Amino acid sequence: MLLQNGLIVGLFMFLIGIALFAVGLYFYKKKQLIADTPTSKIRSIAMGLVEIFGQVTPIKERFFKSPFTDKECVYYQFTIEEYRSSGTNSHWVTIKKGEQRGLFYLKDDTGMVLIDPTGAKIEARRDFEYQSGLGKDPPDQVIRFLTANNLAHEGFFGLNKTMRYRETIIVPDETLYIMGTAGENPLKIEATENHVDSIMIQKGKYEKQYYISDKSEKQILKNLAILTYGIWGFGIGLIIVGAILFFGLM
Amino acid sequence: MDLWIIIVLIIGLLFFTLLIVLLLIYNGLVRLKNNIEKSWANIDVLLKQRSDELPNLIASVKGYMQHERTTLEALTKARTDVLKAPTLSKKAASDMLITESLKTIFAVAENYPTLKANENFLKLQNRITALENELADRREFYNDSVNIYNIRIQSIPDLIVARMMKCTDEPLFKASEEDKAVVHVSMRK
Repeated sequence: MLLQNGLIVGLFMFLIGIALFAVGLYFYKKKQLIADTPTSKIRSIAMGLVEIFGQVTPIKERFFKSPFTDKECVYYQFTIEEYRSSGTNSHWVTIKKGEQRGLFYLKDDTGMVLIDPTGAKIEARRDFEYQSGLGKDPPDQVIRFLTANNLAHEGFFGLNKTMRYRETIIVPDETLYIMGTAGENPLKIEATENHVDSIMIQKGKYEKQYYISDKSEKQILKNLAILTYGIWGFGIGLIIVGAILFFGLM
Repeated sequence: MDLWIIIVLIIGLLFFTLLIVLLLIYNGLVRLKNNIEKSWANIDVLLKQRSDELPNLIASVKGYMQHERTTLEALTKARTDVLKAPTLSKKAASDMLITESLKTIFAVAENYPTLKANENFLKLQNRITALENELADRREFYNDSVNIYNIRIQSIPDLIVARMMKCTDEPLFKASEEDKAVVHVSMRK
């Protein structure tokens, strides 16, 4: 029995190791793609996969307010979690999450281009985090949002529940790094009104990479390198240990 | 389990990892080579667009700029050369000559109020200036692509795969000193 369990654990570790190696490969390819693509100036963007860097400029009447901080933004993502316990087991449960993405322009010192963030992987640092609990009410804006969404922050006898509120936003003038596909702008009215080119950055049909980040390219590459080599190291370790365990017990 | 099975297994894993690394490097170099070709094609498109606009510009300023005949002749010649130049350096030199000639023409145009008021000339000036700006960006982009490629094929471990693929350094879009001298002679004639 012990031998059989050892074999299963060994095989499991080996397979997890292989899977981690494949995941590392994905991040490595992403890192190399970013490193190998030179940054384009916005006024001379060519069709196809491009890498650009610039400041967010909202489109008139296309921006919205973030739910918790009530700031004008072109993107927000939020989560509301509640701390629940049953016996010795306690954990955070997501009770509501959501996001909104709007069209915006990205501007550098040469021009601006329309961005449709639909389908993009957006990585931005968290702008707001608050934990409410006993004797600690949520901020007014959060209470308004909870009320509007039929959610309660109070439990029995009007006591505050332990809840966590998190929000990530992209605001006007924020500097962004974008790797996406430059293609035809189907929203000609937007382009004509604002005298910008007829190109729009979007998710490509063939190029699957569409990435938006508020970090610099150097920082993105550094993070991806740590992630890639970390995953590979762990994966290779699991493969070796798993293989030794499996074949050692066979 | 026998020790030799573990040794064979580890060697097998190392070979497998090496194979993956080689494949990644190979694919990376292919992508970089394609990037260079694509960025060159993007320059070429603009060079052609600008060349198409030049005869109209020359026609609209010819009557005014009798004293700038050398510049206009140099521009006409460079227009033909830039599309037919056999080497990248010569192409870059002709491109540089066009840029210099255009600067002269637009500067001299300031002295001719009737020309400056000519709507057709103004349209051409704006169009050509926009193309010049885009060309400057795309030249920079091309040179960045070449630079990334040249660094990669000279760095370890990519160097090993690059040698197997017989990759050589790609030239930058830059006129050599010799070709630059020709440009200066054309401008001073």
